[in-house]
Parts: sequence; structure tokens; C-alpha cells
Amino acid sequence: MAKPKIASDWLAGCSGCHMSLLDMDERIIKIAELADLRATPITDLKEPDESGVDVGILEGGINNSYNVEVAERMRERSKIVVALGDCAVFGGVPAMRNFFDLDEVMRRGYVETESTDSEGKVPDDPELAKMTRVRAVHEVVRVDVSVPGCPPDADVIFYVLSELAQGRIPVLKDNLLHWH
Amino acid sequence: MVNITIDGKQFEVPDGISVLRAAQLGGIDIPTLCDHPQLSPYGGCRMCLVEVEGMRTMQTSCTLPVSNNMVIRTNTAAINEARKFVLTMIFSERNHFCPFCVVSGGDCELQNAAYVEGMTYWPIQPNFKPYEVDASHPYFIMDQNRCILCRRCVRACGELVGIFTLGFEERGAESRLVADLGVPMGESTCVSCGTCIQVCPTGALIDRNSAYRGLETQVDHHKTICLGCSIGCGVDVLTRDNNLIRIEGNWEAPINKGVICKVGRFMPLDQQGERIKSPLIRRDGALQPASWDEAVKTIALKMKNGNSAAIASTRLSVEALYQFKEMFHNATSMEENGIASISAKMADEAKAAFESDLSAVQTADMVLMVGADLVNNHEVAGFFIKRNLPNGVKLVTIDTEANDLSFFADTALSIKPGSFLETISGVASLVRDLKKTQDAEVDVEKTLPGFESKTGIPAQSILSVANLLQSAKRPVIIYGKGLAANADALAVLKALVDLGHVCGAVNGEKSNLVCLKGGANSLAAAQYGLDKAFASDNQQAVFVALGDDTPRQALIQQLEKASFVAVQASYVSQLTTRADVVLPVETWSETEGSYLNFAGRLQKAVRSQQMPENVKSNLDALKAIAENMGVKVDAGNWKKELVKRTAPVSVGNV
Repeated sequence: MAKPKIASDWLAGCSGCHMSLLDMDERIIKIAELADLRATPITDLKEPDESGVDVGILEGGINNSYNVEVAERMRERSKIVVALGDCAVFGGVPAMRNFFDLDEVMRRGYVETESTDSEGKVPDDPELAKMTRVRAVHEVVRVDVSVPGCPPDADVIFYVLSELAQGRIPVLKDNLLHWH
Repeated sequence: MVNITIDGKQFEVPDGISVLRAAQLGGIDIPTLCDHPQLSPYGGCRMCLVEVEGMRTMQTSCTLPVSNNMVIRTNTAAINEARKFVLTMIFSERNHFCPFCVVSGGDCELQNAAYVEGMTYWPIQPNFKPYEVDASHPYFIMDQNRCILCRRCVRACGELVGIFTLGFEERGAESRLVADLGVPMGESTCVSCGTCIQVCPTGALIDRNSAYRGLETQVDHHKTICLGCSIGCGVDVLTRDNNLIRIEGNWEAPINKGVICKVGRFMPLDQQGERIKSPLIRRDGALQPASWDEAVKTIALKMKNGNSAAIASTRLSVEALYQFKEMFHNATSMEENGIASISAKMADEAKAAFESDLSAVQTADMVLMVGADLVNNHEVAGFFIKRNLPNGVKLVTIDTEANDLSFFADTALSIKPGSFLETISGVASLVRDLKKTQDAEVDVEKTLPGFESKTGIPAQSILSVANLLQSAKRPVIIYGKGLAANADALAVLKALVDLGHVCGAVNGEKSNLVCLKGGANSLAAAQYGLDKAFASDNQQAVFVALGDDTPRQALIQQLEKASFVAVQASYVSQLTTRADVVLPVETWSETEGSYLNFAGRLQKAVRSQQMPENVKSNLDALKAIAENMGVKVDAGNWKKELVKRTAPVSVGNV
């Protein structure tokens, strides 16, 4: 049997969950033995295989139209979609902006920031993705496995990946389940 | 007792308890968020749902009383699904994002409940409506966004503390915790006891000082007693790496059962005083660092001759007070001639105990407070009284000045200064008359001629007090330091005991007369005879065992011209800057020793923090001086000596 293919991508997050993935150290070799690590933001291949992968991992919440495209593409090409980390699972830190009006957030970020000179301007190029309310991944596409944590521990990610690589659905409980 | 079956197991449990408590007794865990062992059942969170045979729907086990042959299931698929749904609804109500919450990581009961149910995501997304954060209170922050509407804080504020500051306004998702009628917490009637923070299951009420300084798993707990006053409340002192993090009430403590006041919870952490870190000796007009040996020898030399006086704080341990009284001439405590002294003199004359503890307050139907300000002193005793007022308990205050409790009194008598004796004996005469005439009309002017002009109290008011006392079945009389200010304080106290006999508060062996006295060890100080007036002429050498107490202005002035002053203290004060020799000693959290509370209960204070280098305990500092004075003290005698003088209240476990 061919090794299961795993791909990943990141959305509105801080990349910390991918850093936590790397934090599993030499155990990543074990994962590579069990599975075929394909496109990820930290490897050369950037888009999941058109022919499809077995597991697609998404880090980060969904905060604009581009994130929606990436999430939908991952859903189309993956048998199992994993939401990795609090932003993907709940919306996380980026979702704090949902408590404010979007225009207000953009003005604060691009015009009123202390480091901005008098020329501050909200980017308005039509090619830029359209900002939306921050959503958890499961609000946009179906999610099969949720792995909360900010970030999830390397141990948790190792457990999740090794279970998936061996064709099992990981069950997070006790020490493996935390949201912080 | 009734027989019930929970999850197939048979239990015999007391009648009248809830299914939740019955399950807990049987060691069966039912998750809950709004329940708290010290609070009345509320049924607000719906987490404790159970199935009961014969009942159509699931029931909240916290509000369902057990009945005989009840068959209960706590762990079916339907229940687990319902619990998950309850959690889903709670999470969707407000902002419960964990990564930026102070209690996340073990201290949040909501997060822990979600972990138990194995929730990996929120099926319904959160409500992104921002709710207000109220940071107006000096000691804590109220964040509505984290609130789960369990109302533990509201129940604690009313049922345990009796303050009723907290309440809820609006309905459904608009429900919000409010102080009073919606004023900022810092401007409300809140008395800063902090019980609401201690019972809050989430991060809605956050202690400012300890925020982000350590989770439950990272701190050390020290179960000890508060040294703030003579009640001796049990507290739990939380430290991390020898740093003071927070103080909580100890739910298991027999006296206060978890309730403490701001003096116990917050004020010790407010201490801004500059710590004294080395012995100091005055040389060429200025205090200079010195060795312990040199400082102690200097003090011993001055104190050895008879021309000396010594005064100690009642915050010192019993062991230290005993050492102190044995080694110095003219020794007394800083509560010289205070109310504890009057109470001790009364016991000397009566040759028997005549006071009791606070337990009678819990069952009293009337409380008479005489010269006792239980708002500014002994506040926890005030909570005990106030929380029972909604049950119809009558409250009468007699004092020369009003306090916050007199506002809630059925009758508050504000008498002329110096008229305690007329008032108390007047009330006693009226109660006697009322008993004689069997409730017929009593003419105040006939029984007490000229009463109103002497005391300033109208006949109608004094008669209503007498009526309340006459009809009370379980009256309790509490007297306080307001009496001590009177020249005839002992006579007033005798009149009060007489009134106790007349109205039934004192009945043979049983007495419901309470005196809360003063500082942590004021009873012990009085028992050792350290209650005499402090007298020193300017020729005398004076030793002050101040500890971490704050010196009164009167004492500072009295010692201004003394020929020699030595002080052992924790913090720099006007007294230490004036002293000739200063010894650095422990603070309350570093103290290990015994304390005798106002009701004669002997308790141990344990050390929560290690002392800085070169600082000694009060007892060790005194021992070092005694050794150099050539005085031998038999330390083992302190217990025996404690009960040598007749105590005003029965001294229990000595």
C-alpha cells in the first residue's frame, strides 16, 4: 500500500502551529517514514496535488476571500481535513477583530498605527483579497478532525499525524486536549 | 435516611439533600458549573442534568431533593449529549476564547468541563457582541465577556457576606452582572471582601494583583490564619518562589468557613512599607547598620535595670508574648486599657467566663450591638449578622456614633457620649417592667425619669428596643471597643451582663454575650496581664516589640522624649526612625506561632514565606535579648500561664 499523502497550508494565523509541528524534532523522520509529506508552506511544493491527498491540514482562521479559496481547494483535494490550532478551530486571536467594525480595524491598522507617518492609507487595490469577518475553518468547509491548542503541543501534533498516517482518526482527550 | 440508586449502585443518604450532593457523597462525579458547596442551589447552568426513573424529562440534580427508592442515571448517551449541548450554548453566548484569558490552563471550570466532555471545537460560533469590562475597582476586574451567568458571585455576595451589592439586570443574552443599580464596581457599595472572585468559575471576575502570576498548579498553598483581628479566620496563602501571590478564604476553616474581609484578602498585599533588613544602632545622631550581637547587647544593657518599660503588639504570637512578659518590667501591650482589658477585669470579678463565640449569631433571632463597629473592625462578624437579616433577624445598635450596620438596624440608638450606663440599665429596667406587666403599657417616664435628657434617646425608641429584647427568643449581645472609652466601662459591662440575664441572652452556663476584643492576640495579651495602661517617664528605657504592626500616633508622641527607645519591627515607621536601636523581625506571612482568638480558640499560624537573611522571628529576637540580660524564661510554661488568670470566655484547646 502506498504511503498516505499529507499536505498543509496556513490561513489567518501566526504560523506558530507549523513551528510547533517542527518542534517534534527527530520524530518528523518517523512521520516521513509513515507518510508522504507533500505541499506545505515550509516545503518547496506550495499547492496540494491536483490528484488529491489523504490528509489536508489547515492552520489559521478564515479572514478574507483568498483564505476561502485556499480552504475550498484543500477541501476538494483532501479526503480528511484537519483544522490545526485555535485559529482554525475557533477563530482564535485574529477573531478578536470581530468585536469591531471592519473599517475601524483597517483604519487602526494602516492609518492610526503609531509607526505610520502622515500618509497612512488603507490598501484598496482591486486585486487584493476582500476582507471578511474572521471565521473558524468549519464555518466555511467541512472539517473532519479538530486539533485545538495555541499552539497544539508537538506531542499532540505527532500523535495526530501518526494516527492519520496509519489510517486511524485521532481522538483527543485527557492530556492531549487543551485549548491554550 | 432514604435509599436511592445511582448508576446501578445502592446508597443510603440523608433525607432532604439534593441528588447532586447524594452523588458526591457516593463518590459519583456529576459535572456542574453553577453549584458551590457553600451556596444555595440555583439550577442555572444545566450541566448537572440526570435521568430519574418515572420523570418525563432530565432533571437538574442540584435542585432535585432525593426521595426514597429514587433511581437515578448520570451517565447515559442522552445525558452526555445534553451536557455537550449545554456547553455548546454557553460557549456561543459570549467571548470565551481561551488563549487570551487569565484562568486558561487549569483554573477555568468552564474549560475543564469542556475537556471532560472531550469537546474539540465549538459547534456554534461565538457571539461577537462586545460586553463591557469594568476595571474601576481597585482590587479586581469584572469582564462580562467571560461571564456564564451562573450567579455564584451574586449568591456569595448576599448569602455569605450579606452585602447584596451584586445582582443581574436584563434577561437572556442581555443579562449582565451589575453592582447596585448599575454603577461602576469601584463606586458601588462593594466592601472589597473578594468572595465573588474566589467563587467565580471563569475569568469574569479577576484579581488584579495575582493575574498571570501563577496558575493553581504553579503555586504553593499555605493554610494558616489571618492576623488582621481577633476573629482568627482561616486563610489560604498562595505563594510562588517565595512571592506572595494571593490570599483566599479557607472553606474548611471552622470559624469563617471561607468568608474573609478586605483586611484578610487584599490589604496584606497592599503593604508598601520599606522593610528593615539589618539591625541598626544610633551613632552620631544617625541610625547605622550593626551586627545582631552588638544591637542585642546594647538593648540588654539598657533594659536590665528596673527603670524600664516595654510594650508589645498583639499581632505577636502567644509564644513571643509570653517570652516578652516574662523578661521585662512594666510590660504591657498596645491594647493597654482597651476593651479586652475591661472584659478581663469583669472576668476577674466574676471569677468565671461570661462570654461566648459567634456560633450563636447564626441562630439568633435578635442581635444587640453595643459600642461595636463591625464595619470598620472585625468585619467578618458583621457579615455573619448582616447575612441573616433577610431571615427576619432583628438588629438593634446602641452607640455614640452611627456606622454602616446601624443603617440596617430595626432600631439604631445614637446616644450621648458617656450615657452607656443609663441607656443599658434603662433598657434592662424596661424589659423587667414589660415582663412584670405582661405586655401591658409601660410608662417610660415613670420607670426612667429624665431618661431622654440624659441619653438623648426618645422614650418611644428605648421602649421599642425593650420590646424587641423582651420578645426575642434567642437574643445575642455583642459589645465592642466603644465601651472602653468610658470612665465607667466596667460598670457599663456589668449592666450589660445584667441586661443579658433579664432578656435571656445570658442564662446560667449558657451565654450569648460576645466581645470581639481587638488584635489577633488581644485575649492572650490580657490573659498574660499585658493590658495595663502604658506609663513611662522620660528617664526610662523603653522597648517596643512592634513586629509588623503600625504604631499609633499617641505612642510615637509618648516616646518622643524617652531617654532610650529600642524597637523590633518589620517596617520603617516614625517609631523606628526615632529609635536608638532597631531589630529587623518577621512579618505576618513569615510568622510561625500560636494565636488565641477572641473566643478562646487556640490556632496555629504557619509560615507562608521565608524570612529575608539577617531578619529574625519576634520570638528569637526576644530570646537573644533575654539571654544577654541574663533572664531565664521557661518557654514550656506559656500554655499553663495562659489560663492562670480567669478568662472572660472559655479557653478551649490549651
